This record gives sequence, C-alpha cells and structure tokens, in this order.
Amino acid sequence: SGGAGALAQWVLVELQGEVQPRQSGDLAGSLLGDLHYTHEGVPVLIVGHHILYGKVVQLEKPFAVLVKEGGAPQPSPTEPHRQYTVTALIKTKLLFKTRPKPIITHVPKKV
Amino acid sequence: AAERSRAEVDATLQTAKLNPAELLPAVHCLSFGPQAGGGECCLLQLEPGLCAELEAGRSLVIRGEKDERAVLCSKDKTYDMKIADTSNMLLFVPGCKTPEELNGDLESCNIIHSQIAGFSKNYWELRRCRPKLKKLRKLLMEDPYEGPDNQKDQTSTFSKYTTEDLLSLIQASEEEILHQLQVIDACKIEGYWRILDFDYEMKLLNHVTQLIDSESWPLSKVPLCACLEELGSLEPREMIQHILLSYGRKYVDDGEVFFEMREDKICRAIARMLLQNAVKFNLSEFEEVWQQSVPEGMTTRLDQLQGLALVDKSSRPETIFLLKVEDLPEDNQERFNSLFGIREKWTEVDITPYIQDLCAEKQTVGALLTKYARSSMLNGVKVYNSRRPLS
Repeated sequence: SGGAGALAQWVLVELQGEVQPRQSGDLAGSLLGDLHYTHEGVPVLIVGHHILYGKVVQLEKPFAVLVKEGGAPQPSPTEPHRQYTVTALIKTKLLFKTRPKPIITHVPKKV
Repeated sequence: AAERSRAEVDATLQTAKLNPAELLPAVHCLSFGPQAGGGECCLLQLEPGLCAELEAGRSLVIRGEKDERAVLCSKDKTYDMKIADTSNMLLFVPGCKTPEELNGDLESCNIIHSQIAGFSKNYWELRRCRPKLKKLRKLLMEDPYEGPDNQKDQTSTFSKYTTEDLLSLIQASEEEILHQLQVIDACKIEGYWRILDFDYEMKLLNHVTQLIDSESWPLSKVPLCACLEELGSLEPREMIQHILLSYGRKYVDDGEVFFEMREDKICRAIARMLLQNAVKFNLSEFEEVWQQSVPEGMTTRLDQLQGLALVDKSSRPETIFLLKVEDLPEDNQERFNSLFGIREKWTEVDITPYIQDLCAEKQTVGALLTKYARSSMLNGVKVYNSRRPLS
C-alpha cells in the first residue's frame, strides 16, 4: 500500500550484464563506482577498470519500488501476494548500454 | 568499507584520463547498501494513472489467495501481474540526482555517497484485466437471506461477509466490488452483505405487485410510504425498501418518494421463477403462462431473457430452458468450452449475451469470437463452433 506524505523519488541505474563483488562475500557495503555527469548531462560511470557512458531517460511508465514487509525472501511468480509497502517512485533511469571502455586503452584528450 | 574521499575520486578520474573540466563538479559514489542483496525490494511498472494515485497518497493492494494468480488493485481498477525479465541489471538508487538537479550547484565539489537500495533483473508488469467477481456471488450464495423468520440466520456468522471481508477475499478493486454488489442486488443486513434467497425475493416482489394491483397504482408511480405502511406488518421495512430499489427506479416528486417499476427486470425474474422448475419447456406454452404471470400492464418479450434462458429453435416443438450466464465459468477458454458443450453451433445473436461480460476494455464480442471460435455457414446463416474437437 502507499501512504500519506510525499513518496521518495529514486533513480534507476540500468547496466548490462551481471554485478559481481570483487571480493568474495556478498555485495552489501561494497563499492560499485563513481557516477559523474558531463556538462551536456551525459552520465559517466567508472566501475572498476571500465568507463561506461550512458544517457538519462525519462521513463514512459514509472516504477514503484515495493518493499516486502516482514523481510521475507524474494517475491516469486507463485507467491507474490503478501504485504508490500510502496517505498519510492522511479521516474528517471540512467541507461548504460554502450560497451564499457576499458580504462587502459582510453585515449587522452589534448589539453 | 570506508567512504571514498574527494582525493580518491580525483585520482580515479586521472587514471581514467577523464578531464574534470568537462564534468559537473558533483560526483555520486555508489555503493551497495546493507540490504541490497536481500531481495526485499522489487520493481512494479506502473500503468498510466497509477503513479498519480500513489503520489496522491492512495494505496495499491495486491490480492490473491494461494491458489489464485495475484492481481493488483487500485481504488477502482484491477490488473493482472506478470514478471518481465530484462537481460540487464536494474539498480535502484535513493537520493541520486539527475544533471538538471545538480546544475544549480556548479560551485561546490561535493561528493554524494549514494547507497544502492537493491537490484533486480526483472520487474512486475501490469495489464488491466476484468475484476474477478464471480467469487463474490459464490461467497454470498453460501448463505442467502431467507427472511427474518428463518431460524438459520440467528446462529452462525460463518458464511457472512462484511465489506472488509470481501475486500480481502475478492480479486477486484473496492469500487468494482461495491458496484457489483449493487448489480447483483445485494443488501447489508446487520453489517453483512447478503444476497436474497430467490424464493424469498419473489415473495417480496409478489407482495409489492399485488399491492400495486389492488391499489391500482400506475406502474410508473408507486409510493414508498404507502408500501411500507401496507406491507410493514408482513415483512421488514428494510426488505420492502430493498425490493423496491431492486426492481424499481427511485425518484422524488413533490417531496414524496416514488418508484418507477422496471418492467424488463420484473418480467425476467418471473420467467426465471417459471423456468427453474423443469429442465425445459415448450416455448409457446411458456410464453403464454409467462405473459399471464406478470403484473397487469406489463408485456413480456423474449429479449428480456438474454443471458438467462436459451431458445432451442431446432427442436419440434421449439423449447426454452434456463441458462444463466452467472453460472458459467469466468475464464474465457473455460466459458467457451462450456458453451460449446451445451450447444455445438451458435449464432452470434444467441451467444453474445453469454460472452459479453468477457470483453476486456475496448474488446468486442467479434474479437472474442475470432479468438476462441471457428465460424462456418449453416443454412445461409453464420454460426460459430469450437476450435478444438470436443470429446
């Protein structure tokens, strides 16, 4: 269910492929990378040894972020009917679809 | 892990050979929050209108028992839910600013430490669907109201449902449920929604029509007060009022409440009463008895029986039998299977009342027939039959 009071606005970051932790152990607490924007508004994400260029997309169909109450495991197609709270809305996504540029071969711009 | 410092960010930029002058000064250092891998968050793609509803503070509810496919309900609509897979990773980031939001702040070299709240490779997709209301009638039929004299009613409240009960059990939005309760002439008795037992309903209707006849009131102007006065000793006043509301249109004239009796609905109810006593009837005999049974001044017509009874024009003599659309399956394919099991070939005119309620928003009966039936010509008339061989 939703609630009174303004809903938080989050952002979706869409990446190709999998996200895996550098060290063994789970992801919690580990760094993903640095997100910059150019003056033209192009998002630039530095992840590990890669640079990803993306674009800001206004979603035609926004998302609601649902949080399961009670901290139960991931909702599955067979058992979705539990108590959920709408935590946030997402109207914008940062889409990183271009192939990542490895940092090593990045050609420096002339200063 | 310790938070990244500006120095570390700058060092990374340098290694990446990116020119800070081309970038906005603010940077988001993204890390995974403590709950990120827990899978407690999931994404729901919103259909038009739902986002505005959430922002207005209204709720969305997911409904469905263990044996039902889940649906999502807003205040007045119902949606099927389906998982959509993407091949990409979707990360949800609170407090992440877009370039527009940052642009007012060209001076400070700030770092925004953003924690990724969760991630997913899939999300829930919604598709508007018909509310699943058949169960509503089924629940209320567990214990139809047979009148105040009925002993049964004093005892258990086991099969009795309040509005709250219905909201938790029926896969439909609140408005759709309340609307359907009105359509099926349910009434609230002692806080519980009840459907009248048909015989009791006919008894009530009969009291009213007899009174109309003996008082010689015009069918279009039946006074509420007089009805309550005359019949109040026979039946509870709420029931008299309920039957008038079910079978008449209420209006006020010169400060007094009247009802315009609904001819079609009354004729239809009487037909049902006659037809339910046998498997089928000789059509012409039925039509005669039927006309004689309805109140003076009302005219019976076969088209009043759409979705209630079916005429068999192929039998000699022609016959008619009870076939109520509300007794048929709710699922599209099952409905068509059931109809083709009853009769092999249907004309569009005959089948329409039995599939009309299956039409989704903007869907036509023709579209349903194209999808679920096969057409052919029989004696110059277009008929529909099953797509599959029936055993």
